Amino acid sequence: MAMTTESSRTGKPAAWRFADAVLSIPVLAVLFVAFLLVPIVLGQFWVEVATEILILGLFAASFNLIYGYMGQISFGHAAFFGLGAYATAILFREFSGATGEIGYLEFFVSVAASVPVAALGALVIGFFCVRLTGIYFAILTLAFGELLFFVVFSWYGFTGGDDGIQRLLPPPLLRHATAYYYLCFVIVVLAMLLMWRITQSPFGYILRAMRDNQERTRFLGINTRAYMLINFVIAGTFAGLAGALWGPFTRSVAPGLLGWQESGIAVFMTLLGGSGFFAGPMVGSIIYTFLHAWVTGFTQYWPLTIGTVILAIVLFSPGGLLGAVDAWRRARAGKKSRLAADMATGEEETGA
Amino acid sequence: MSLDLSLILIQLLAGISRAMVLFLLASGLSLIFGVMNILNFAHATMWLLGGYITFSLFEMMGGEGPLLLVVAIIGGTTVMAGIGLLTERFLIRRMYDRELPEQLLLTFALVLIIGDVIKIIWGVEDRAVYLNIEPLAVGETYINPYYFVIIAVGASVAAGLWWFLQKTRYGKIVRAAVYNRDMVSALGIRIPFIYMGVFALGVAIAAFAAGVFLPLMPMALGVDIDLIVQCFAVVVIGGFGSILGTFVASLVVGIIYAFSILLWPDGALAVVFLIVVGILIWRPWGLFGTELRY
Repeated sequence: MAMTTESSRTGKPAAWRFADAVLSIPVLAVLFVAFLLVPIVLGQFWVEVATEILILGLFAASFNLIYGYMGQISFGHAAFFGLGAYATAILFREFSGATGEIGYLEFFVSVAASVPVAALGALVIGFFCVRLTGIYFAILTLAFGELLFFVVFSWYGFTGGDDGIQRLLPPPLLRHATAYYYLCFVIVVLAMLLMWRITQSPFGYILRAMRDNQERTRFLGINTRAYMLINFVIAGTFAGLAGALWGPFTRSVAPGLLGWQESGIAVFMTLLGGSGFFAGPMVGSIIYTFLHAWVTGFTQYWPLTIGTVILAIVLFSPGGLLGAVDAWRRARAGKKSRLAADMATGEEETGA
Repeated sequence: MSLDLSLILIQLLAGISRAMVLFLLASGLSLIFGVMNILNFAHATMWLLGGYITFSLFEMMGGEGPLLLVVAIIGGTTVMAGIGLLTERFLIRRMYDRELPEQLLLTFALVLIIGDVIKIIWGVEDRAVYLNIEPLAVGETYINPYYFVIIAVGASVAAGLWWFLQKTRYGKIVRAAVYNRDMVSALGIRIPFIYMGVFALGVAIAAFAAGVFLPLMPMALGVDIDLIVQCFAVVVIGGFGSILGTFVASLVVGIIYAFSILLWPDGALAVVFLIVVGILIWRPWGLFGTELRY
């Protein structure tokens, strides 16, 4: 069967990459409508849950640019989430001063500041990381993430050290949960559209080529290191934007936002939803957030739970939820087309 | 803070003994990676589990005297070797044909699971063993003689491991498996057994290290992450698969860490990471690794 032609490194069916749009567009369209209606249909508690899902979903989707599309795993992606959060929080603190009040212009300047700061951070860190692939890439991103964590953790004068920065109260009209939710909704939707465009561009297909076989991609005359760096910066920038939204949402930032546990959240969400699909991380964010809320309701052993879930996914369903849906869809389509072919030729099924 | 001679001596001893635990962990990590191509994120977490098990065995036997500690260490090491065998047989073995990120995620999941299991069984308090040892007077300060025990033990394990890999039949099989597992398999050697053995050996060495360090270094939740990051630093600096490189890099990282804690407490890890970054750019295969294996 032509469909089972496998790329040499990933072992995934070659047709897999085209399944992205077929599944991601309907899923994201449904989610768009659902998220649009959340504040109208549900109460404030669920609006806050949905805000969290959107922000962390954007963070996870930016991580998937590196993991799902480029085929490298970063254990330090939260460094950029945290950089963005701190850039916003520090400007916020300076603007609001002693009164604790911040104007609308200053608020949006603080949020926007996260973008260049995270991009610059990703450029510097990425410059070193993209020289490596595989486990070396994973180790170096982890090392840089922890390094930034320690810098933020111990630089009391500037970052507030382990106390973090509190009292990040948005301007009056954005203080209500629903107002802030719709602000996040607009920003996340725009960011996701931009990211979708990037993954569907020739640039996005070069990323996939590098994932499947970096050496062959290089032989095509593509400067793989430069493409990896550009993608690393793009992913870091979107993570920073997600981080910027996080501070005013929780009214505080803490060094933990840069740590490996926070990086782990992006990894887990992506894996739960399915790294092979653009919509995967956002779906994963929904699953993760609900699972977390449900499990922590009756036990404090959340790491044990998520660890077991990850173990089960890696062992039995490495494609995540969307991967499983896609396999089911494919199996059904395969059965149908085989049936159609049999009827057309009138031949007997010859078996696998 | 004055940098007099005795202070330097103490920091040097602390650095070298820290280097020993790094070496014992990193050599297992490097061996497992060299033979099976699996990077075990959970290696330091298994070290931690070994430490807690040894602690409990020691307490159960009365909790006094160096001799009982030796018995407890042997017990803890054996238990962890068994856990290592089971982990390879039922989890790691399923991952050999998988993509690298999935392999990493599996061992990363083990970090979370084992960490919480430790929390369930032993709670959140630190666990340490107290041995009544007379401190040694050196100049104006006192030195814990246990440092010398640790350095001696670490050096012996390093020598033993080197001897095992270079001189024994099984060591040669393991080294051959690093270079060409198909050929080893074709010679009639059962590769799955070799893999299981190597994984268990690595975990056992880690558990042994935890036990030996119990009187000096309390077992606490979360230290496994600090340690695994430093072990990664060691294997990157020394080069994967090189015992000598791992040994030298452990000394470098351990001693630099000990001295930077003295001069710039918050920057100790930063200094280590700067070296890692430098090495990765200059010689990504490490000081003693070969370009081929990188």
